[in-house]
Amino acid sequence: MTRTEFWQGNIACAEGALAAGCRFFGGYPITPSTEVAEHMAVKLPKKNGVFIQMEDEIASIAAVIGASWTGARAMTATSGPGFSLMMENIGYAAMTETPCVIVNVQRGGPSTGQPTMGAQGDMMQCRFGSHGDYSIIALCPASVQEMYELTARAFNLADQYRVPVFLMADEIIGHMREKILVPDSVPLQQRKALVKGTLPFKPGADMIPGFPQFGKGYGVHVTGLTHDERGYPCATNPKLHETLVHRLVDKVEIARDQIADYDVINPDAEQVFIAYGAPVRTVQQLLHDRADEKIGFLRIRTVWPFPEKSLRAFKNAKRFLVPELNLGQIAREIERHTNVPVQSLPKLGGDLHTPQELREALEAGQ
Amino acid sequence: MKLAIDETRCKGCNLCTKVCPYHIFQAGKKPNKKGIVLPELDRPERCANCRLQYLYGRTLCGVCQLTCPDQAIHWVDEEPYEPMKVAIEY
Amino acid sequence: MSYEDWFRKDRLPHIFCAGCGNGTIINCTLAAIEQMDWKKDDTVFVSGIGCSSRASGYIITDSLHTTHGRAIAFATGVKMANPNLNVVVFTGDGDLAAIGGNHFIHACRRNIDITVVCMNNQIYGMTGGQGSPTTPKGCLSSTTPYGCVESPFDLSELAIAAGANYVSRWTSYHVKELEKAIKTGFETPGFSFIEALVQCPTAFGRRNKFKQVSDQIEYMKAHSLLKAKYDRLVESGEPVPTDMFIVGELAHRKRPVMGAKP
Ligand SMILES: Cc1ncc(C[n+]2csc(CCOP(=O)(O)OP(=O)(O)O)c2C)c(N)n1
Ligand code: SF4
Ligand code: SF4
Ligand code: SF4
Repeated sequence: MTRTEFWQGNIACAEGALAAGCRFFGGYPITPSTEVAEHMAVKLPKKNGVFIQMEDEIASIAAVIGASWTGARAMTATSGPGFSLMMENIGYAAMTETPCVIVNVQRGGPSTGQPTMGAQGDMMQCRFGSHGDYSIIALCPASVQEMYELTARAFNLADQYRVPVFLMADEIIGHMREKILVPDSVPLQQRKALVKGTLPFKPGADMIPGFPQFGKGYGVHVTGLTHDERGYPCATNPKLHETLVHRLVDKVEIARDQIADYDVINPDAEQVFIAYGAPVRTVQQLLHDRADEKIGFLRIRTVWPFPEKSLRAFKNAKRFLVPELNLGQIAREIERHTNVPVQSLPKLGGDLHTPQELREALEAGQ
Repeated sequence: MKLAIDETRCKGCNLCTKVCPYHIFQAGKKPNKKGIVLPELDRPERCANCRLQYLYGRTLCGVCQLTCPDQAIHWVDEEPYEPMKVAIEY
Repeated sequence: MSYEDWFRKDRLPHIFCAGCGNGTIINCTLAAIEQMDWKKDDTVFVSGIGCSSRASGYIITDSLHTTHGRAIAFATGVKMANPNLNVVVFTGDGDLAAIGGNHFIHACRRNIDITVVCMNNQIYGMTGGQGSPTTPKGCLSSTTPYGCVESPFDLSELAIAAGANYVSRWTSYHVKELEKAIKTGFETPGFSFIEALVQCPTAFGRRNKFKQVSDQIEYMKAHSLLKAKYDRLVESGEPVPTDMFIVGELAHRKRPVMGAKP
């Protein structure tokens, strides 16, 4: 049984987290993500969970990581400036393989920028923002429904791959209200526990070690220093460092296809739009207005790891058009994976592309 | 029980020589294989802990052990009849 | 039977320099724990970055060696998510009061039920001896080559002002007193802060006329003024020596607590 609601994106995000069993939220207010925190502040105490407003975003992500080690599904929500502050500890989560969910309701940057306007300027930052090499997973919702569903999925992915998972929303989706079908339950996939007696950082066949939850007698030492399979610091062994970092990256990269989530529309088309997040909606409008033209559309929900195989679905593609609310961050990533010419359609300022603008771009190249 | 310095841990800082009320630890003279000068023990059987730890079932004094930054001081079991006669000092 | 069982023996000897006071503070902390009926499985050590913060890795329990300055924020997450755990934080003066200063005062304000043991060596040890927020005026460090001109923080006063339930200061000379203070800290619900002044022969002592490790121990012994004695001096209107620091229990109160065991 599903029920119908009329929710704001940020509320749907919080509800999706609660449905997935999130029981810890640590955050710091920032527009346009604050409603997520406010809703969690109302709901979590009633579900035996913990809401805590920390002193800043550095502390928020730190508390989330700490909570995660006690076995709790934990998350935080923020926007640009707070996201920047979180970077060091995001790297810590990647290094220590701590499952956690970070929601970024993106606004215009750099700096304080446009607090109340949507943007997608943090797509590269979420992938590469912390120092060193590592891999993460990032999901981009394009509707209130997806705010709910992708948030819930983010927890499963975080637990399965033991990485920070980002819900890279934007102000437009975060503050939009629309109809949503709320299911009774969401699919749940729990963390794989460490088998007692195995080394805490010894990976299984899937390259992911079992999780030694605090308080369960594992006596595990967790450090952001380069560590061996016992978890002990071993920072000057070149081979060990190389192996560890390769594994941190590969465990996500080899699972690209399992993680990937996208829709291929009109695969025979020559002109193909590629979009994620809010711009999806403008492309949809264009496709709706010009249903007879069979315009190609690749709609991506998992931006990182980038689902490169999806590009090959368009065998006749002559051009990829990529509308983004940034100066072409993902367009550049797409270029890396294809010989088909990629046309970036950047837009800044907080407004969505209009269908008219996309139509002009489409016609200009034909 | 017998007082012992763990040679694999001691770094020769000589802090133990400062804290023992009986001055059981004395600064050593010659370096060991690792080049560390271990302190020497002067009649360790005088240590309250050596004699009374078993009797009381807990650590007595133990200041040297708490102070030793390198966890090098502890008490080990003795062979029967090994303890020497305690020299009582007035 | 003894606190030695709490050490992660396969990692000893530790990385601290010969004569470094950090090892002493670990001993005192574990000796205090041994007197509590805490189980190893229910105890978590959290630390930041610095020599002092390496301490968590030498203890057999679950431990989280985090990022520079953030130990208390991580510990807040651990404790709030599972209040049944006993959470102890090891930190250094730079970790706690410089980069982590904000987390410190907010944890005091929240009065979250954790115990923080700060090994205050008045210097940045790990990075080679730069000035820290507790480097005394006039002291030499690699970034205060002409003597420190800034006024230092009094960490304990800071904790008291910010609301911690238990605050006490001792030194690595006062091992028994320190052990007792840490135990009282464990027993006191709410935020307990124990400041342990320690010698750092390598980065501080060497530059500041302490030729031997023991010279700095002697200095700490000679310059610590017992709280009770300080109170007597103040009461009788006698002058308080300016070159001494107060040691003892500085606050012990019952402000409302967050994250206590249910
Ligand atoms: C964000 C960040 N900045 C700087 C450093 C470098 N760093 C490592 S330890 C340290 C100082 C530690 O000093 P303190 O907390 O007093 O500990 P001690 O080594 O003296 O015990 C610094 C600055 C770091 N690791 N991370
Ligand atoms: S205090 Fe410990 S490390 Fe230092 S000399 Fe004595 S036994 Fe050795
Ligand atoms: S336990 Fe006390 S008396 Fe015995 S050796 Fe150590 S300091 Fe001396
Ligand atoms: S540098 Fe100082 S604080 Fe660090 S281990 Fe050496 S003596 Fe200790």
